Amino acid sequence: MDITLFLQQFLNGLSIGSVYAIFALGYTLVYSILGIINLAHGAIFTLGAYFTYALVGGRFGFNGLLANAALPVQLPFALALILGSILAGLVGVMVERVAFLPLRQRGSDPLLTVVSSLGVAVVIVNLIQYLVGAESYTYPANTYGNLPPAINFGTEANPIPIRTVQVVIFVVSMVFVAILSYFISRTKYGKAMQAIAEDATTASLLGINCDRFIILTFFISSFLAGVAGTLVASSVSIAGPYFGIGFGLRGLAVIVLGGLGSIPGAVLGGLVIGLVEAFVPAEYSGYKDAVAFSILFIMLLVRPQGLLGRQVIQKV
Amino acid sequence: MKQTITRTTAFLASCTLLLTACGGSNTGTNTSINTGTNTATNTSTTSISGPIPIGIAFAQTSNVALLGQEGVAGAKIAEKYFNDQGGINGTKIKLVFQDAGGDEAGAINAFQTLINKDKVVGIVGPTLSQQAFSADPIAERAKVPVIGASNTAKGVPEIGDYIARVSAPVSVVAPNSVKAALKQNPNIKKVAVFYAQNDAFNKSETEIFQKTVKDQGLELVTVQKFQTTDTDFQAQATNALNLKPDLIIISGLAADGGNLVRQLRELGYKGAIIGGNGLNTSNVLSVCKALCDGVMIAQAYSPEHPGEINAAFRKAYVEQYKKEPPQFSAQAFTAVQVYVEALKALDKKTKITTLPVDKLRTELNKQILAGKYNTPIGEISFTPEGEIVQKDFYVAQIKMEKNGNNGKFAFLK
Repeated sequence: MDITLFLQQFLNGLSIGSVYAIFALGYTLVYSILGIINLAHGAIFTLGAYFTYALVGGRFGFNGLLANAALPVQLPFALALILGSILAGLVGVMVERVAFLPLRQRGSDPLLTVVSSLGVAVVIVNLIQYLVGAESYTYPANTYGNLPPAINFGTEANPIPIRTVQVVIFVVSMVFVAILSYFISRTKYGKAMQAIAEDATTASLLGINCDRFIILTFFISSFLAGVAGTLVASSVSIAGPYFGIGFGLRGLAVIVLGGLGSIPGAVLGGLVIGLVEAFVPAEYSGYKDAVAFSILFIMLLVRPQGLLGRQVIQKV
Repeated sequence: MKQTITRTTAFLASCTLLLTACGGSNTGTNTSINTGTNTATNTSTTSISGPIPIGIAFAQTSNVALLGQEGVAGAKIAEKYFNDQGGINGTKIKLVFQDAGGDEAGAINAFQTLINKDKVVGIVGPTLSQQAFSADPIAERAKVPVIGASNTAKGVPEIGDYIARVSAPVSVVAPNSVKAALKQNPNIKKVAVFYAQNDAFNKSETEIFQKTVKDQGLELVTVQKFQTTDTDFQAQATNALNLKPDLIIISGLAADGGNLVRQLRELGYKGAIIGGNGLNTSNVLSVCKALCDGVMIAQAYSPEHPGEINAAFRKAYVEQYKKEPPQFSAQAFTAVQVYVEALKALDKKTKITTLPVDKLRTELNKQILAGKYNTPIGEISFTPEGEIVQKDFYVAQIKMEKNGNNGKFAFLK
């Protein structure tokens, strides 16, 4: 592989890897607090993309029950991204109230919660199909204003063209990762979340309202899924209601690779999976998933705590 | 405990993904999935009283429902048109619709219901070639005529004596777009080909495109593969663009093909692009929007085709759907027309309402293959195997409006 191609694929990998990272952060946050995997995360990723699509275009789409239903406003992409992701966050909170809270109150086995979240995912995906149809949706051509379609990172003789949307994805993803890292490690709310993640019982004895922080966690997690969904959709179009399912599964590989419950681990895992996929030769693109999940299997065997996870020590 | 559950979940999810991947791929093997339970018993010895039932087995649900619905629209227009014209020498036709879904099992169920329960005289369908390879043998065993209206893969008419099609094979249609691209730009030398390797139809279509490229004396600089489920084509696109092709040919479906067009254009490719039959739908326009502009696609139908029957079909379609009729609608109309005209010819020889259904089906099949028809897709007839002999083909070029939201297939002269 020549250096030009190497650099090209490296930049491609960083772009998609950064999306995996913010998507996996949502998984990790919920896992940290509740110790469960929210399998509805992929469906909320899809939902976020549709919300932003509706806000940017001022309409829900041209199929399904909401065909041609118009919104009173058309927002610029940046604003629509934030608002669409907030709406995704609110749906995440609803999911928590409906599918997770009742089971938690009854002290159900966490595995049942995983199944419950899978049920919610199926319902959300089918609801999307009912409301806006199964077709692909693409954001308007002027989504990124007057930015050029591609940026050349090489020379004129050896061009390394990267689509501008990929650069935007990387920058926006890293901004959200930085904001979240600051929020978790430096703010009072973030520290309270860390305390709950460490020991929920002790945290509540210290006066932290765990229920409120669980809601906050679900909101942030689903907000990040919405951001990731929107960014991917702006790059490749929303490929129908099942759009997020593959991402949901890949997110699992990312957090296991990075280390369960580790925020830096989710970022590192996302970037590693993205880069590995980028270097899968183009003619074997159909085996990208197999490569990602092979890494997961190997990691489970060799280093079960992941790249940056902590080993669990049981005292006897 | 936390970690055990998570790892179990991750493991199960991985297995699910791998199983889904295995199940979702179209291997292209044309093996029938009949296991002996699909016995289409055909003991219809009574004759038909009332309207003549013709079965329509298109996908009305699943991911190919958009194609199936185009077929349904064409068939419904044909039913009204021919009944208004007096039907079969005074006897009306009645189309019986069964949802064939997007898979082999759905097509088999639809065929069995149409043959055994609805006692149709013939069937139009199914939507996909892959479905035809499984469902058509059932009709063949029951001696029920089938006319494929959207099956373009190699080998469909050869399934049996009762199987014909009005959808010209891709080997006949596809090369026209390459010739049209060369007519527009005779300086084309280097060609890059992309195809979806997990789809049987696209694999067979790309072979025809690659052969055409070589036959035209062009240089095939690269063949890039992708999956119909892919969304990111950066790697394949940059690989091909580094070889500086003058023409790119894509065999894929609307979503992946449209995305590939978009990413090629965004990466600066300015040359000609040809899309295969999978991109022959207006659904592709919403994927690549303004960047679809200029893509060429070979067609077996043009709304501008001269002739009285196409004018009537086009008028009825435009009045009802407020847009130009797509190819699949025209071909579905044509399939119903073939049944109507064959039944009319047969009725003149022997009154069809006096024939037992099984005898009627056999005679009808012979008549279908013997006839010549002037249809919306032009003058057609059939080879003894049931393959369509079609006179006119077209190439359309996508023309998008400036806002990038709307566009149309403009037919090249």
